[in-house]
Amino acid sequence: MHTLLLRGSGDFELHAVMDNQLESGVECGELLSRLVDAIIGGSWDAVEQLRGEALHSMGTQQAVDAMAVAAAFNGITRIADATGIPLDAGPAETTATMRDELRIDDFEYAEKTRKFDRVTA
Amino acid sequence: MFQNCAYPIREATVSAYEDVWQQLAQSGPFWSGADRMAIVREARNSLQCKLCSQRKDALSPAAVQGEHDTVTELPLAAIEVIHRIRTDPARMTKSVLDAARTAGLSDGAYVELIGIVATSVVIDTFHQSLGLPVPATQAGSTAPPLGADPTVEVVDGGAWVKIAPGDGELNEIGIPRQANIVRSMGLVPAVIVLFFSVMRQAYYISGLPIAISRSQAEFIAARVSALNQCFY
Repeated sequence: MHTLLLRGSGDFELHAVMDNQLESGVECGELLSRLVDAIIGGSWDAVEQLRGEALHSMGTQQAVDAMAVAAAFNGITRIADATGIPLDAGPAETTATMRDELRIDDFEYAEKTRKFDRVTA
Repeated sequence: MFQNCAYPIREATVSAYEDVWQQLAQSGPFWSGADRMAIVREARNSLQCKLCSQRKDALSPAAVQGEHDTVTELPLAAIEVIHRIRTDPARMTKSVLDAARTAGLSDGAYVELIGIVATSVVIDTFHQSLGLPVPATQAGSTAPPLGADPTVEVVDGGAWVKIAPGDGELNEIGIPRQANIVRSMGLVPAVIVLFFSVMRQAYYISGLPIAISRSQAEFIAARVSALNQCFY
């Protein structure tokens, strides 16, 4: 959903969403990617350092807001993951090619069941 | 909350987070306030759980059996759900819900539990990102759960649980006005209000209440979704 909204907000390299080695074209995108990766990975020592970089590069309120957005989505993704909600009807159609190209379809629930309900390692 | 924070936190955010933290300690439809606080403690504890750590290292979490390290008296079915969704959301499958159902957890109790965990994840993640300690849990109300809201209307919307009905209307950017993520916890409307009270401090689909650009917010959202392997 949010890759779709990112696409709608400008001309960006969408593959950077899935691969943090790529340049997204989003302002401060490389820093944001490293900060988000550290937050979601719970690497709090790294977050401390990256927070300092973000405060310096983006501005105090912007850095705080970026962390607030990351925190919010760390929660809401769990609701989606735990309730198995399907994509909304409109975006399901308009994102089909993009999901395939970016391999977002690998996250589809049936695919996860096939991979992660195996009782052998 | 956010006391002694070195950075500017909006007054509305502080107020919303504090209100939600108090509401978490009150009894909900399926869990008492004490239970709800226990769910928060259990979610935090799961990050040190040896079984969860072993599962994270395995190709398939289902391949590793054992007992969770727990700090509460919550039912085992609830503990399994809490630990899975807190520590390994990327590999959550419907089998976790099915096992919980078999063990006697109702769908309403499951949804309320998920909403509580997700809310606490937002609150804890923001605090930790700012270098602050997570808020101390409270004892929580021992008043019995309030019971399911008899006026709740839900439909089969293709999710694992029944969800709130949509109205079929699209917003200005062609996305359903009532997106499935908002409908997903329709079995427990109170927990929708609870969760989105903190969520909306940082994000709205139209009109951001924050100082970063739409593209930056969507990039962060999409990157978090990728890291948590969230299909939605």
